[in-house]
Amino acid sequence: MIPFTRDGQVVTARLVPGESAMLASLAGQLIEMLEERAAESPTDLLLAQLGIGGASAPPLDPALARLLPDAYRGDDTAASEHRQLTELGLVDRKVANARAVIESLEGGTLVTLDPAGVQSWLRHLTDLRLVLAARLQIEDDGDEGTGDDRMLDLYDWLGYLQGTLVECLE
Amino acid sequence: MSQTLESPVEELQQLADQPWVTIVWNDPVNLMTYVSYVFRSYFGHSREEAERLMLLVHHEGRAVVASGGREEMERHVEAMHDFGLWATLAKEGP
Repeated sequence: MIPFTRDGQVVTARLVPGESAMLASLAGQLIEMLEERAAESPTDLLLAQLGIGGASAPPLDPALARLLPDAYRGDDTAASEHRQLTELGLVDRKVANARAVIESLEGGTLVTLDPAGVQSWLRHLTDLRLVLAARLQIEDDGDEGTGDDRMLDLYDWLGYLQGTLVECLE
Repeated sequence: MSQTLESPVEELQQLADQPWVTIVWNDPVNLMTYVSYVFRSYFGHSREEAERLMLLVHHEGRAVVASGGREEMERHVEAMHDFGLWATLAKEGP
């Protein structure tokens, strides 16, 4: 892999085919998770068209709960009301970022991003790391994670990739 | 939901009160460089201010990153959730 570098507005990285396929597969799994969550929502068709009418309680799955956190702490009523109005929109935007990442992986191993693509990648890499961290039980600073070694390596690799992306925006 | 304000006086009062804050909480996942980038790019903070807030989150476990009206803070919290940062809003003060 050649990590992200920037030339003006254009950001590029070169992945090896295995990395690219892995990333596309993870993005696909994240889309599936999010769409399942959205489908569970007790949605009224009209509200759904407005992008509201989402679930009223946080997801039980810790990974999803971290992707879709409560906006209020210690105020379940406010958190629930806010969630119903905003969760579907948040899910949509996260799915759109994942799709944008998949799309940018379709051109081969050279990933070329415009500024909008950069924003999708930044957010999506974060979302993937949040999910993996939840699965690896990384809960506090310094936790090294427990579980599958491949998943730990993947978590570190995604962090490295994201680090180079942030760095080249400096 | 937006509220209809009855008079410019009330509107001024509401602006003066600014009783809500956006709080970003520490998490073990997000890179320090990324958090700092989000504070710069989204809130328009200077590099120094973004670094200060990021370190505050890291060391104190949380930092107030914005204050203002409730709806504005709700928008900020949603934007932070878009970025994958853990944020909440609350009424300012004890």
